[in-house]
Amino acid sequence: MPDYIGADMGSTDIGPYYLGKGEIDGHRQIVFRDLEMVLLAGRRLDVPVLVGTAGSAGGKPHVDKTLDVLFEIAQKHRLSFRLAIIHAEVDKSYLTAKLAEGRVSPCGPVPALTQGSIDKATRLVGQMGVEPFVAALEGGADVVVAGRACDAAIFSAVPIMRGYDIGLAMHMAKIIECSSLCAEPGGRDAIMAFLSKDHFILESMNPERHSTPASVAAHSLYEQPRADGFSEPGGKVDISEVRYESEGNHRTKVSGSKWIPSLPYSIKIEGVEHVGYRYISMGAMRCPIAVREIRTILMRVQEIVDELLEGSVDPADYHLQFRPYGIHGAMGDGEVACDPRPIEIMVMTDVVASSPQIAQSVCSVARYNLLHYFYDGILATGGNLAMPFAPSDIFAGDVFEFTVYHLVEVDDPLELFKIDFVNVEEGVRCGETT
Amino acid sequence: MVKLHEMVRVLRSKNAGPFQLTYDLIFDGIESYERAVRSGIFNARDMAARLKRSETEVTVDLYPVGNAIKITVPRIHSSGSVGDTDVFGCQQHAPLMEIEVP
Repeated sequence: MPDYIGADMGSTDIGPYYLGKGEIDGHRQIVFRDLEMVLLAGRRLDVPVLVGTAGSAGGKPHVDKTLDVLFEIAQKHRLSFRLAIIHAEVDKSYLTAKLAEGRVSPCGPVPALTQGSIDKATRLVGQMGVEPFVAALEGGADVVVAGRACDAAIFSAVPIMRGYDIGLAMHMAKIIECSSLCAEPGGRDAIMAFLSKDHFILESMNPERHSTPASVAAHSLYEQPRADGFSEPGGKVDISEVRYESEGNHRTKVSGSKWIPSLPYSIKIEGVEHVGYRYISMGAMRCPIAVREIRTILMRVQEIVDELLEGSVDPADYHLQFRPYGIHGAMGDGEVACDPRPIEIMVMTDVVASSPQIAQSVCSVARYNLLHYFYDGILATGGNLAMPFAPSDIFAGDVFEFTVYHLVEVDDPLELFKIDFVNVEEGVRCGETT
Repeated sequence: MVKLHEMVRVLRSKNAGPFQLTYDLIFDGIESYERAVRSGIFNARDMAARLKRSETEVTVDLYPVGNAIKITVPRIHSSGSVGDTDVFGCQQHAPLMEIEVP
């Protein structure tokens, strides 16, 4: 029987949009389905359920939307539990003060933080460590719904609270936050970790997914910039001398992970800025002559569009790019294959502009000019794109960018993360305390 | 000479946060791993040339306990920003597949 159940609900991996827009990446029904299973299991076994980075990005709207689902499940099953809600949204004034104190530094290859980036940020969240989870559990929580959180914090809070080795607990947590992705074949099924004094054992709950020393070692490197370990608030987990050993065909034993504390204790702040609205249009080029001439065609049409719009649309108000799938759609300028000649090319016309109207106008002008551009050697004068449907210009929503990705030195690991407690009895919210 | 993709069980790219891209080369065993390390080609200069990046941007780490090599570079465009082509950074590994390992 597990001592607790954890769920990592979000990431920055999905890009800046969800944090900016305040939306969950996924449908409410699916969130309901997953959360219902986890919550019912936690209550049946009477063990804590910890949800981190609620609602994909862990800001206030994300936490609120997750709670909305949670309360509906509680009501449906008349569940009783003590709920802790850990908030992770950061006030701009807090970051402004930290910047003025010189207690902000870039997290990785990111430009230094400016007051302008703070002012223009749509939303800021802090990525909590284990301490807020521990405080929630010490406050008697049966269920914790946390905003933006370190993946490892969600799954290491209970063992660290109970005095287990921090390095092992964090390494274990870092692996199981991706469920059975560390297995062979990797997948999304639940995983069980067994933590002891000097090792942990991983076992996928799907008998067809095997945790092997190689697959677990590989996953220990997942999404981390360096191979010797990974940083967490308050220190680093050193995995350079870890032993991965098989325990039968299905399980792997891990030992030797070490926690190296480091000061000052820092929290990463993530923030995004709204940069525009996107329209796209897609069409396939099949004519071998057009395919051969693709680079010239796209370069020339881009110039024509810019010339056409001159005087009516400010160039600063739009960004047009053609994405030729089949040539370098996936890698852009980083593509290393020389002069690929596919049978066909999907050209995506991609416009980001300061208003949806401008984006739509530019997209339609670009699409038409691409459709009817007369390149050298043209035979097919009816048009250059096979468009699968019409209307063919599609609104693709708001566009955000990560502009804040910085470490802030804090005096107290809890200072950014307010915790509210709510007693739920038979599915009904009763007392609320902070 | 052996091609890198014939010596590995995993060869992937992935975001390491929205501003970095990391490549994991997990070899199919200690022999392949040691052969790759002995070849000396998995260094910042050669990998930078392969990835069309500058040498100072590239880190190459060895992870012997996992028979793995990790290469990390800053992203040209941060994840999901206007010019980005790959929000998850998971389809950037192809330039490494054909590396010839002596």
